[in-house]
Amino acid sequence: DALLPAPQDISILSTNMKHFLTWSPVVVQGATVRYSVEFQGEYEREYANGSWIPISECSLTTATVCNLTEDISATVAYKLRVRAQLGATRSPWATSKGFFSRAMTSLTPPELRVVADGHHVLVELADMGPSFQFRVLYWRKGQESRVQQKVMKEVSSVVHLATMEAGAEYCVKAQAHVEAINRSSSFSPTQCVRAQGDTSVWLV
Amino acid sequence: GACRVSMSLAEIRAGFTAIKADIQSRDPIRTLSILSHPHSLHKVKSSDRCCIAHQLFTFYVDKVFKHCRTEDSFVNRKISSIANSFLSTRRKLGQCREQNNCTCGEESTEKFKQILANYEGLNVTSAAMKSLGELDILLDWMEKSR
Repeated sequence: DALLPAPQDISILSTNMKHFLTWSPVVVQGATVRYSVEFQGEYEREYANGSWIPISECSLTTATVCNLTEDISATVAYKLRVRAQLGATRSPWATSKGFFSRAMTSLTPPELRVVADGHHVLVELADMGPSFQFRVLYWRKGQESRVQQKVMKEVSSVVHLATMEAGAEYCVKAQAHVEAINRSSSFSPTQCVRAQGDTSVWLV
Repeated sequence: GACRVSMSLAEIRAGFTAIKADIQSRDPIRTLSILSHPHSLHKVKSSDRCCIAHQLFTFYVDKVFKHCRTEDSFVNRKISSIANSFLSTRRKLGQCREQNNCTCGEESTEKFKQILANYEGLNVTSAAMKSLGELDILLDWMEKSR
């Protein structure tokens, strides 16, 4: 088995609670090398004799990336490993250095769209997945000390945020929050809109 | 705090729902319950809930999951997800228990002893599979008593 080298450059890319394992391909001239991935949570290490669990979607795959999101579904420390296979020949396992916890995911600000519909401020947030809630802050321009907040546990379509006084300008920004890891993203850029007549205006 | 535990419960329930039919089909003894015999968890006094919840999560981590390995890779992955979620939720329950100085009253101690007796009354694989199949009983009770 040792003739086939283990995959190198293993790394875990995690953004917005979506986690991927990647590695460099093992090159064998004129042959198709396949890979298999397994994971081990804290439970397996501490209570199940250090057992490893295969990810069937990433068993004997030719890809050099594996989606771990479904399996990294608890806030504990995980280990990942991958090996190459060519026919019956298998490489040694290459195991991720250190541990990975979903709490390490990087969180990006939400995509926010602010619309003035007459005297109403409407907002729309892009869906970021089931783990996400949103904190929307809004204020009348010039009254930065009187910021108001709306927490949105689910993303629905357009949401009414506030009714504006005629001619006033209102500003809005939002951040994403993941309860399961108790972390928030940074705020999206602030967007301001001005109350108009009946026509709908969208100002970025 | 409580809300963080509730978030984990939602994830645990999603994982369990995905394999519930499979797990419950592996439990031939339908006439006996491990968690609800002879009395329902809902009879536990509110002052004892924090303590017995922590005990029950420890019971599942220490005794149940390791005996539930199946030949089905999807089921095994979901059991791992539930087990690891139980581990992190138990940690929060443990912290809750310490911070709030939760005590285990006589009734809940008796209730937990009964659960262990029900468990030990079966062979270990049947007992583990049945306990896993009753997870929604535990989750329903946890959600109702928040």
